[in-house]
Amino acid sequence: MSADESHFDPDSCGGNAAPYVLGALTDDENEAFRGHLESCSVCREEVAALQVVAAALPAAAPQLSAPPQLKRRVMASVREDARRRSAHGADELAQDRRAPGQVPARRWRAGALARLQWRPNLAVATFAAAVIALAVVAFASGGGAGTRVSRATVLPRGASASLSVSDGHAQLNILDMPQAAPGRVYELWLKRSASAQPQPTDALFTVARDGAASVGVPGGVSGVSEVLVTSEPLGGSRVPTLPALIVARVA
Amino acid sequence: MMPMFKPLRSGGDSSAAGLSVLADEELMQLVYRGQAAAFEVIYDRHADAAFSLAYRMCGQRALAEDVVQEGFLSLWRSGARYDRGRGSVRTWVLGIVHNRAIDALRRRTVRERGRISDEGIEERLAAPERTDVEVGRRDEAREVRDALEQLPDEQSRVIELAYFGGLTHVEIATMLDAPVGTIKGRMRLGLAKMRMTLGDPAEVVQ
Repeated sequence: MSADESHFDPDSCGGNAAPYVLGALTDDENEAFRGHLESCSVCREEVAALQVVAAALPAAAPQLSAPPQLKRRVMASVREDARRRSAHGADELAQDRRAPGQVPARRWRAGALARLQWRPNLAVATFAAAVIALAVVAFASGGGAGTRVSRATVLPRGASASLSVSDGHAQLNILDMPQAAPGRVYELWLKRSASAQPQPTDALFTVARDGAASVGVPGGVSGVSEVLVTSEPLGGSRVPTLPALIVARVA
Repeated sequence: MMPMFKPLRSGGDSSAAGLSVLADEELMQLVYRGQAAAFEVIYDRHADAAFSLAYRMCGQRALAEDVVQEGFLSLWRSGARYDRGRGSVRTWVLGIVHNRAIDALRRRTVRERGRISDEGIEERLAAPERTDVEVGRRDEAREVRDALEQLPDEQSRVIELAYFGGLTHVEIATMLDAPVGTIKGRMRLGLAKMRMTLGDPAEVVQ
């Protein structure tokens, strides 16, 4: 330990500022420190002083060119979103652009995910009916040449998802999905035929506060008939432990 | 929080050429209104930096691409959250990508940690120095790297493990077999020294 370090009291006010700006607090500590910042001018000044350095750190990474196919995928999703919003009018745009934290709490309380965990049999029946009722495939004219977009069947009420396939890459775009329950994470599965067991992937994910997520399908969808999402314990599972919440049929 | 934008003048040129002359902050106003073309200009300006950061953190091209994609789509869907009072669009974009990469790193499973990294990708994807702006950024990046390398090893290491490795201070303390307080102290001292070396880093990288 250097002489400088021996004079540093990590428990004093400001002690968490450096790990905070570096993203090195745990989720709980981060939340608590954000609350603390609202009432502590000492910590606010410390964060402001160190934040400018943290903001410069990305420049220390070797500078690379983003792959061109990445832009094609991002813009295909953006144009699909723009088209959907345009089709549904300004109300949906306003809903999608709601302030953070405004709707998720309401959706969580009303969301189907909580009910699913209490009554899985009912959920399976509801979901099976939904699968039969809905399988929409759209070809995205503005999503770039060769981009196919399939609307997925989604169990949680109010949520939606679509599968975009372009240049051999596939991504699942999810909106208004409830947060995974505590201790659980969403896992992506691939099904290669109607009778085959779903195969696990490395894609474990959570959704943003507004319920959105974009998940790349590992390895693409060649030979895949369905892309599924289930809620699994942290770390993922080898076999689904709950019925699928999202089913996207590959067009 | 409502977006803090000045109203854009009406009748503006929304063509790609017209948009390209607008400042990031003006473009964000159009992104907020759902203009995909404005978003595309923002993407073109910052995707290389975002991908560079994501790849440095993730070490795998596919994962880095997913992180950047998630980050930019999050930006597109939450344009209202950009607050120019808190820094430039570039800083905001890179902050989003950094957070997404940390999430990706922390939810890795044991079976993912054994993956082989894409060694040598830097050479294949190295960004060409095409414009004066890019040459300037390359010089500025060198200054930041030099400032980081000038730190005592124990300070640069905790900063790199935290910022680029996505590790928490507790994980770093365990890894280095040092008290948590010592790790926090090294982080703070290292950042403070870099600030002195760089002057005002916010001006260096914008």
